[in-house]
Amino acid sequence: MSLEALFQKLYDSPLAAAIRENTSYFPWIESLHVLAITLVFGTICIVDLRLLGYRAHRRGARRLIVDLLPFTWAAFAVAIVTGALLFTSNAVAYAHNAQFQWKMIAILAAGLNMAVFHLTAYRRIGDWDDAHRPPLAARLSGAFSLLLWIAVIVFGRLIGFTLSVF
Amino acid sequence: MSIESFGNWLYETPLSTSIREVTWIIPSVQSVHLLSIAIVVGSALVSDLRLAGVLATDESPATVVRRYLPWMWIALIVLLLTGIVMLIAEPGRTLGNTVFWAKMALVLFAFALTLFFRKPLLDPAFALEHASWRGAVKPAAWISLVVWVAVIFCGRWIAYT
Repeated sequence: MSLEALFQKLYDSPLAAAIRENTSYFPWIESLHVLAITLVFGTICIVDLRLLGYRAHRRGARRLIVDLLPFTWAAFAVAIVTGALLFTSNAVAYAHNAQFQWKMIAILAAGLNMAVFHLTAYRRIGDWDDAHRPPLAARLSGAFSLLLWIAVIVFGRLIGFTLSVF
Repeated sequence: MSIESFGNWLYETPLSTSIREVTWIIPSVQSVHLLSIAIVVGSALVSDLRLAGVLATDESPATVVRRYLPWMWIALIVLLLTGIVMLIAEPGRTLGNTVFWAKMALVLFAFALTLFFRKPLLDPAFALEHASWRGAVKPAAWISLVVWVAVIFCGRWIAYT
C-alpha cells in the first residue's frame, strides 16, 4: 500500500470521521497536545540551558537530567498520541502540508541530537557533572536542542495558518 | 462606551489594521506566546512539585524557587506583551469571549499564588518552617499547577468559542 493510500485510509476511518464531525473533540485533543508540548519544551529547556551553563535547581547536570527526563518522556508520549489523533482526522491534508513536514523533520533531528548527546558527552558526564561550563559537545547539544524544539513549536503553530482543509 | 463598541473601535484603528495586514506578525507573536507559556509551565512544574514535596526534595525550596522565579517573571511579561498584540489585532476574538475572561481570571489567580507563596522565599532571612501559612504551601502548589493547566486549555479554546 502506498503512503498516499494509507493516509486516505486513515482519513476514511471511523475514528477520523468522529474527530471531524464532533465539534468539541478536535479542540480538546488540541488543548491536550498544546499542554504536552509546553511540558516537553519547558522541561527540555531547563536541561538545555544547564548544558549551556545556566544554573538550574541543582548543581549537578546528571541529577537534573534524571529529575526531569521522566516528565519530558511522559509529556512527549501524550504529544505523540494526541498529535497522531489530530493527524488522522485530516491525514491527507496534513501529509501534504509543508509546515507539517518540516515539523516532523525538526522532531527527528531533535531526537537524533539527543541520541548523539547520550552516546557521547553524557557517557563522560562524571567528568563534567558539576562543571559550571560543560564541554563543547554538551554545549552544542544544548544549543541544537533549543533551536530544534523552537522550530518544532513555530512550524506547529504555522500549520494552523496554512493547512488546507477540503 | 460598551465593551463591544470599544472592540469595534479598536479593530478599525490603523495599528490593529496594520498588525492584521502584515501576515507574518500574528503567527510569529503566537509562536513566541506559546514558547513563553512553555517556560512558565516548566518553571511552575519544578517549583510547585518541589513545594509539594515531590521533586528534588534534597534541595531547599528557596534554592529551587530562586532559580526559576526570575524566568517565570520574564516569561509572564513576554506573555502579557504578545497577548496585548493579539488582542489589539483581533479584539472581536477576545473581548466578548467568556473563555478569554476566564483565562485572565485564572492567570491573575496563578500570579497571586506565585507572588504570595514563592516571593517570600527569595529573602535569605525568611524561614518557611516558621511561617504561619506553611501548612497551605502544599495544597497551594497543587492548585497552582492545576490553574496553569486550565490557563492553557482556555487559551486554546479561545479560538473555538
